[in-house]
Amino acid sequence: MIIQTDLCDQCGTCISVCPVDALMLTEHALLIDHEKCTECMFCVRICPVAALEKQS
Amino acid sequence: MHVLCTYLSRCGIGETVMKTHWDIIVIGGGPGGIFAALEAAKAGRSVVLFERKREMGIPVRCGEAVGELDFASYVGIEPRWISSRVNTFVMVLPDGREVELKSDLYSGFILNRDLFEYDMAARASDAGACIRMKANVQDLIRETKDGPVKGVRVMEHGILKEYYARIVIAADGVESRIARQMDIQTALKPEDIEPCVQVTASGVHMNEHALYIYVGSCYAPGGYAWVFPKAGNCANIGLGINGKYATEDMHAKDYLDRFMERFFPDASIQRYVTGGVPVTTNLKTLVKENLMIVGDAGHMVNPLNGGGITHAISSGIRAGKAAAEACADPGKIKKIFSGYEKDIYKQFGKNHEHQYRIKDVVYQLSDEDYNRIGTEFLKLDVDKRTFLKMFTLVVKQKPEFIVDVIRAYSGI
Repeated sequence: MIIQTDLCDQCGTCISVCPVDALMLTEHALLIDHEKCTECMFCVRICPVAALEKQS
Repeated sequence: MHVLCTYLSRCGIGETVMKTHWDIIVIGGGPGGIFAALEAAKAGRSVVLFERKREMGIPVRCGEAVGELDFASYVGIEPRWISSRVNTFVMVLPDGREVELKSDLYSGFILNRDLFEYDMAARASDAGACIRMKANVQDLIRETKDGPVKGVRVMEHGILKEYYARIVIAADGVESRIARQMDIQTALKPEDIEPCVQVTASGVHMNEHALYIYVGSCYAPGGYAWVFPKAGNCANIGLGINGKYATEDMHAKDYLDRFMERFFPDASIQRYVTGGVPVTTNLKTLVKENLMIVGDAGHMVNPLNGGGITHAISSGIRAGKAAAEACADPGKIKKIFSGYEKDIYKQFGKNHEHQYRIKDVVYQLSDEDYNRIGTEFLKLDVDKRTFLKMFTLVVKQKPEFIVDVIRAYSGI
């Protein structure tokens, strides 16, 4: 997954649907653990502002 | 010297004297966490609250509507928390017709939630709780892999620190990562969450005492759009869609853009927030070992209307009291904690199960169904337009719905 930091509002909605706990927030940024991520796309779809996209 | 150290540590001044051992650690500074810290501190316990963000109450990821009676039962209301008073409920149909409901059906406020949380955090601090900002809890420290929680690792102003406590309260919101570390399954299925986007706009000229709810998939599939008035011709305008309708091409923001274009093309935007609302039943497990879960982290949101402020407050108060009680009588922790879990279920957990089933039916209604029900409803005098009457009309469309409506409204 790629996080578009200029779009991300750090609301955490993506974290709540991540089945493998691969996402976390710091004070200013969303971080992704690429080793845990299974590319299920839940976060990409659920993000209210389309800040996540699949790595091409 | 001891007194000075205690004072300094309570104020968070002087890193060298910051206490590392506490009775209770609260993770998260939303309403649930603040009220938990307040209650535990009032009971004489040493409490520290960690909040990831830099300012209490901000950003306001919330429509800010609360029912007056419900809210006032938990806390004396300060005038500055109230942006506007609302007493009318208007449903806007897919075809744009407005249906006003019985006028004394709803009495509530649109809060200035940032001020509310700011003030309540100050009250918690006055009661003796220590509040730490820019303090991001990374993970729990466990005694053994499956054992109780010993403490937390916190990234505080860029430095990783460890704090220890007898009881930990997870109030970390919809993300609910803390409970996952205790092997409590909190990840939501896409259909059990509503991604939301909201703007606070100025120059909105609507009835300033009315809550407007726009129903139908043309506005927000599987959810609804809202316009909640705030002082000075401002309003919170937002919507949530059901996660199952969120696609790679259509996100919640796209629906709000469309909504604003249709109804408020000239509005100026003063605030833009996003967020996720859990729309499922409460978590079954709200306690494990010495960890308690409150508010959104325990999915304590009414799944039909998405309201969660008062549930967070209620569970925060109960958890704070229970945690203090368990500190005073550690032998009874199991009994006290299971009492908390049962109490929450009785207070609103059971009702949310019915609301969840109602939601399932309501959000299956097509836009044509809504328009037809609206037409029937508009034939009634305003005084007869109650929620129950509306649901009876829905039942005519979906007869299997009756049992859940009766249960939800009679509290069985």
